[in-house]
Amino acid sequence: MLDQLGNGLLLGIIISVASVALSLLYGVTRIVNFAHGEIIALGAIATLFFSSPIDYRILFLDKFSPLGLNFALSCILAVIVCGLFGGLLELILFRPLRKGNVGNIAVLVVTIGLSIFIRHLYLLFATGKVQNFPLELQRRQTYLFFDMTPRNLKVLIIGILVMILIGLLLTYTKLGKAMRAVRDSEELSSVSGINSDNIILITWISSSMLAGLAGVFQATINDVRWNMGFLILLLIFAGTVLGGIGTSFGAMVGGLIIGILVQVSVGLPFMEGHTEAKNAVALGIMIVILLFRPQGIFGQKERIS
Amino acid sequence: MNSLLISKRFIFTVVITSLSIYLVFLLNPEGALRILINLLTFAGIYGLSAIGLNVHFGWTGLLNFGHASFMGMGAYVTLLLMPHAAGREGEVTTTGLPIIIAVFVGIAAAALFGLLLGLPAIRLRGDYLAIVTIAAAEIFRLLVRDLESITGGVYGIISYTENLQKFRPEFINSLSLSYEFAPSQAWVGIIAWVSIILTLFLLKRLNSSPWGRALRAVREDEDAVRAMGKNAVWLKLQSFMLGAGIAGLSGVLLAFNYGSLETTVFVPLLTFYVWAIMILGGVGSLTGPIFGSIIFWVIISETDRLAYIFFENANGQQLAGFRFLLVGLLIMLLMIFRPSGLLGKKEELLLDVK
Repeated sequence: MLDQLGNGLLLGIIISVASVALSLLYGVTRIVNFAHGEIIALGAIATLFFSSPIDYRILFLDKFSPLGLNFALSCILAVIVCGLFGGLLELILFRPLRKGNVGNIAVLVVTIGLSIFIRHLYLLFATGKVQNFPLELQRRQTYLFFDMTPRNLKVLIIGILVMILIGLLLTYTKLGKAMRAVRDSEELSSVSGINSDNIILITWISSSMLAGLAGVFQATINDVRWNMGFLILLLIFAGTVLGGIGTSFGAMVGGLIIGILVQVSVGLPFMEGHTEAKNAVALGIMIVILLFRPQGIFGQKERIS
Repeated sequence: MNSLLISKRFIFTVVITSLSIYLVFLLNPEGALRILINLLTFAGIYGLSAIGLNVHFGWTGLLNFGHASFMGMGAYVTLLLMPHAAGREGEVTTTGLPIIIAVFVGIAAAALFGLLLGLPAIRLRGDYLAIVTIAAAEIFRLLVRDLESITGGVYGIISYTENLQKFRPEFINSLSLSYEFAPSQAWVGIIAWVSIILTLFLLKRLNSSPWGRALRAVREDEDAVRAMGKNAVWLKLQSFMLGAGIAGLSGVLLAFNYGSLETTVFVPLLTFYVWAIMILGGVGSLTGPIFGSIIFWVIISETDRLAYIFFENANGQQLAGFRFLLVGLLIMLLMIFRPSGLLGKKEELLLDVK
């Protein structure tokens, strides 16, 4: 069971980063974004496009060749691309919907449609095959009592640093305070001179950048698939709900717990030979949590029924 | 005035539906009837499923995104109770219940699954309910995949169609010879449409009964229903069971239409297909899903031509991808520009829950 702990931490950090992003967006805009997974996939696909060698011709219908950039630079560019994409979504789709007073449920259904649409755009125009980043293979090493490759350790550390940064940003900066103000009441924050449109736009951009980063992590640790975002989306929901939807710190912890649970549950005695069902454990826990403590571990008691 | 408006929309809907059927004949000079029967069979099955979803969302305002699992529950329970073959070795089971009883048990199982899922879910607000139902459907799918000794796992279930096809009337066979369509599929299609008509009669009765009125009142104002002394939670659970049962029946029909049952059938995308049909037909409208389903399947079956415009030698993956691309776009555009669909009533839409 313990040998899975390293894998659990890695999955945990992916889900954690993505959950924070989802939770941030939900907190400020009240949108449950089912297209979140597609932004994650965009992070991975964009990195693949920027970093793959120029003569590598599986991607993009054989028509465009990748750019062959430095890998670290590619990751940063991909995260920026995701941020721009999120901002674009807000500007051309979600802001008009908000101004048109479209209800939350309708917006939720719109994000589902958007998710299906974008995901199959990837399938058609980006990559129908499972692909890997152009990185050399590494041997696993033992750190303390975890087994992982040096590169994955780097991912883990970057992930933790990013989370600390986000936490500080939300707690101490003017922007973070403004975000929390808009979350509590859009109207009241407007009255106190906060431009809520701008805050929501910034939220979309930062949420999408985090999602893109989660995608880069996911693809570095595992691989790039057109439906990778959808495959992990429910686990992200589980992490978000476990921590308490709308709370960033809760999402961080919830995501880590879910990731570790999923991987460690493979080692449970009754799971022998049933590795496919490991996600079911996490989803089951999510449903139980919602049953007994719908506000999650760190969520505040508000009206949830 | 109001009824006049609705009847105008009804005529418009019928015209659009007829035109889309005509389109099939126009685009397929050869074998149009075979294509049409295939399409109408799918439309009947998915339409039935959408009627069930409409009981959840349209009548009661329950945001159910796990519809595929109700269909799956009905299908698996029914098939496993009848003679079939399952699993890697195709292990044959020769004994079983008569089909009528098996189907009823399947429907009951789907309804019970609805109750089971409804119990925790019913207390939650809309968006939470969406997450819980989609997660529960995924758990169902993973378990079915994993419990190979019972469900056949990834190898699926085969050799069960004879249970239904042995009752196929002779006239279908003779017609199929002269018009060249698959008789087994036509038989499933006929049953699907008969089921739709029976279900609609039942729902129409229920809709105008005190029970139906109370249900719609739950959607509009739960507190008021409680104040009137009705048990709102039990009403919601009943709605969950009714819709899930209808979905279970459509799942059984879907299994008979495919001829072999694989775990890849009841994936979340199936739920989204049914959602698209319900929104297109009109949320809360009784007959809407029927028309929505026919139009939807005409679109789906003719998009391959569109795909060939974009991809010269489109392979299966690209054709399927293109289809889903359009489904996503359809859901998005309908929800933005015409959330009431063809026959829905705007004032009955429960979309601005906070």
